[in-house]
Amino acid sequence: MSDRSIVVVSAGLSQPSSTRLLADRLADATVAELAQRGITAHVETLELRDLAHEVVNMTLTGFASGPLRAALDTVARADGLIAVSPVFSASYSGLFKSFVDVLDKDLLVGRPVLLGATGGTARHSLALEYALRPLFAYLRADVVPTAVYAATDDWADAGSDRVNPLPDRIRRAGRQLAEEVADREPSAPAGLYDAVPSFEDLLGG
Amino acid sequence: MQFGIFSVGDVTTDPITGRTPDDTERVRNMLTIAEHADAAGLDVFATGEHHNPPFVPSSPTTMLGYLAGRTKNILLSTATTLITTNDPVRLAEEYAMLQVISDGRMDLMLGRGNTGPVYPWFGQDIRQGIPLAIENYALLRRLWTEDVVDWSGKFRTPLQGFTSTPRPLDGVAPFVWHASIRSPEIAEQAAYYGDGFLHNAIFWPMEHTAQMVNFYRQRFEHHGHGQADQAIVGLGGQVFVRKDSQKAWDEFRPYFDVAPVYGHGPSMEEFTRETPLTVGSPQQVIDRYGKFFEQVGHYQRQMFLVDHAGLPLKTVLEQIDLLAEEIVPVLRREAEAVRPAHVPSDPPSHAQRVAAARAAGQSPTASPAAADRWTGRTAEDDVEAADAVAR
Repeated sequence: MSDRSIVVVSAGLSQPSSTRLLADRLADATVAELAQRGITAHVETLELRDLAHEVVNMTLTGFASGPLRAALDTVARADGLIAVSPVFSASYSGLFKSFVDVLDKDLLVGRPVLLGATGGTARHSLALEYALRPLFAYLRADVVPTAVYAATDDWADAGSDRVNPLPDRIRRAGRQLAEEVADREPSAPAGLYDAVPSFEDLLGG
Repeated sequence: MQFGIFSVGDVTTDPITGRTPDDTERVRNMLTIAEHADAAGLDVFATGEHHNPPFVPSSPTTMLGYLAGRTKNILLSTATTLITTNDPVRLAEEYAMLQVISDGRMDLMLGRGNTGPVYPWFGQDIRQGIPLAIENYALLRRLWTEDVVDWSGKFRTPLQGFTSTPRPLDGVAPFVWHASIRSPEIAEQAAYYGDGFLHNAIFWPMEHTAQMVNFYRQRFEHHGHGQADQAIVGLGGQVFVRKDSQKAWDEFRPYFDVAPVYGHGPSMEEFTRETPLTVGSPQQVIDRYGKFFEQVGHYQRQMFLVDHAGLPLKTVLEQIDLLAEEIVPVLRREAEAVRPAHVPSDPPSHAQRVAAARAAGQSPTASPAAADRWTGRTAEDDVEAADAVAR
């Protein structure tokens, strides 16, 4: 069984960020579950904060510059993606959406994705289900059933499973992503022009 | 190697003076720019085709026909002619007419266009962009190479016994380029026919351009038109030049910062690093453009965008002079010095294409018999018959 790549996209804006904290926990859980299945997983984390200017530039110019080019390649190589956004104004953050907007529209088709979000209160937890999940359904990603929301209060007493559902939920989500990743062959980097039909087919089509 | 300029014909407010030319002034400026490029000794002038403000050039063959009469040496081309929303029958007729009028001093470049609403304005569906480009060009070629065409397809009315006139000059169709930035299907199309491929690299990093060009080259060889390094390649680029590099930066920056195509995004420093935009002295342009062949192979045509972003006419004409006097001769000399002998220096000229057709045993007739295919009568017969009746 070969190694797999888990790519984490964290849209937290502050440093340190609770969004990054949740993203790291989700990644740890996924790696642990994959290890139980005899698979070594490598985690690469993209902090969108560091790419913010390039993301906006790409929305204006159409091409990825500097570190964004490498970041998009990283996402393209992911066997599993963990995407975590803070909730702003009842939905994912604008930076998170802008990053999704610059991804190739077919990049995430059939790819296992685990969703997470953070916010000040539990009141926003359904943003995962009415905002992030439809977005990734549109992208035709294979989103695992458990999505993890962490409100500020959830970070209290996170060590005790009996009083705080967050660690359980993180484990369950990590297990689901690990199962999806383990089920698939490692993603081979696709050649840029592999899908181009022959001209005879184009003419006949 | 050919060097030229291409215009998208944008009407843009000059951010320094706050002045905006009207459409008439912009069209006349484009004509002045083309005539100036001819007099300065550049090889190619190409105009875009647009059907929406702020762009003025909607009728390329009208403009190029006028320029054919006014200029001496410069090759007249397009950047690009819309193969998706123009009727291929009209394209066959209009560009054959231009070919005859310019005595073969033209070629054209096909593209799909980049403005979504143009498709419905001309009765087409943008989701069919690639299939339209494929079918329309296949018909366009037949109309140029076959005297009488029976045809039916998906996107236009069928043709029965149709002859496009005038027939191409010397029986040989104009040379065609296919332009695409992102669609490998179009690179494949160019390769399939052995036509030229132009990558308008102006907003793209050279690694991307190199990938597309190399794909076209491999497919050109696959389809049997020659070796990959003999494929006919053009690149778009853009420069702003002054003899003093700092002056170039200071003068161009306010135009760059608010230009519709550049402004409010990456800084000029970032943009010049990532794309072929080069702002500086003639030597800096030479250093940069003289190295592109290392990534895309030896290529045959380099086009520069110089008349955009609201730059005043006087400045544009000065840019053309700097290109023609200080940059192009050096770039051409350097390109020739390293070009392998089996790689063509230029895209094929009309004379070369005629010679090649003759050598291949094709002896196209100058014109088809001008007879009515249904009655077998010619116009002269009708005149004689009318005379007979009158007598």
